[in-house]
Amino acid sequence: MRTARQEGHVMDNELGSIETEMKRGFLQLLVLIILEKDAYGYAMVRAFRDRGYEVEENTLYPLLRRLEKKGLIQGKWEIGEERPRKFYAVTSAGREMRDGLLAIWKKQDEIINHLTKEK
Amino acid sequence: MHKNLENYLEEISHYLSGRTEREEILSEIRSHILEKAEQESGPVSEASLEKVIAAYGRPRQVAEKYLDDRPVIAPTFKRLLFRYTALFFAIHLVFIVFAVIFKKSLIIFPFFFMPRLGVIEAVMYLPAAFLTDFGIVALVLYFITQSGRDFKLPWPKFALDLDEVKAPDAKTLAAKIATMVGAGIMLALTGVAVKLFIKFQTIFLVSYNLENFRPLLLPRPGRRVSLIVIIMLAAGTIGLFIKVFALSRRITCWVDAIADSLALVLIGLLLRQQYTTLFAIDIQPAFLAKIHLALTFTLLFVALMIAIDLVSNLVRLGRKRLAK
Repeated sequence: MRTARQEGHVMDNELGSIETEMKRGFLQLLVLIILEKDAYGYAMVRAFRDRGYEVEENTLYPLLRRLEKKGLIQGKWEIGEERPRKFYAVTSAGREMRDGLLAIWKKQDEIINHLTKEK
Repeated sequence: MHKNLENYLEEISHYLSGRTEREEILSEIRSHILEKAEQESGPVSEASLEKVIAAYGRPRQVAEKYLDDRPVIAPTFKRLLFRYTALFFAIHLVFIVFAVIFKKSLIIFPFFFMPRLGVIEAVMYLPAAFLTDFGIVALVLYFITQSGRDFKLPWPKFALDLDEVKAPDAKTLAAKIATMVGAGIMLALTGVAVKLFIKFQTIFLVSYNLENFRPLLLPRPGRRVSLIVIIMLAAGTIGLFIKVFALSRRITCWVDAIADSLALVLIGLLLRQQYTTLFAIDIQPAFLAKIHLALTFTLLFVALMIAIDLVSNLVRLGRKRLAK
């Protein structure tokens, strides 16, 4: 038999793992939205944080790399300033993907609202 | 140059060996860490970098996020890994038994090679055979996974299915009485065997006439084999008595696992026995060879059954739920 404390611990773990899964897709969408204007990694982390969304930095950079490989964003190093920074911008394929993801997001939101109102 | 930052990047670089974009990945991480340290703590120092590095994550964890998610073996094939290894190993085992009985080396290129083995060497060879089988199956499943094609591999069912090994049921009163009766019988048998051994130095007799007893086996091997059988009987008796009074099922499993291990060792000792210098009575050489073959085969079969029981007991013991 599990104690109430163990049950709580299991619940926290499960919640954390589902949250990680949900965040994966959500972060891709956020990146495609924010990169309408050129930005580099640390600036994106700050922008998300200012809006109350904490991003694991070590997750953001691999994601940027994957999106770049897929041609959804484009990166360019800028060496001129005090330290080199890689700026990213969304491509036309990325914009198309962003619109598709937003449509899915809205549809899911509608379904959840609909179901929670039925209760 | 900041030593702690460069050491950190060096470690990440180690885990990214072989990737063409490694330098670019490291440059981006370096730029991020320096900027964050500066933004959060003013001029960059070793101490401020240390804080940012700690928050960024362990080097291996960071590197892994850049690696492809494609698994070495697809999740749908993972269950097949042990299933196929068991099947392969069973076939391998049969060939090993043949190699021992017929004293020949067997080659089925490129999968199996069984050198000519004695019994003890064969037992020692088993772990190596298992690892080879595991490696071959893992390699095949790896290639199938990497091919990315949809293969429907069959799921064979065995007599001993490790997925279906259940914890033994709680003992009923009838089962307890049966175990107690069994323990009593075993105790009586052990007592008789010990008494015979004290009197005649062997338990294998052709005639039990006290004045003119005739041993079945020669004195030295007779003593040895008798002692092995007495130890088996005594261990069985002790095991049954412990099971009668055992408070948890886990103890029962431990008793069975220890008894199985001991039995395997004793069977190994029996198999080492030279049959040409065993019997005290006259037996035709051709018939002796047949007895030898039959006994070896029987002992190997019993050893296989005990080994299966040992595996299922170890599986039960490995399950934490059993203890609760």
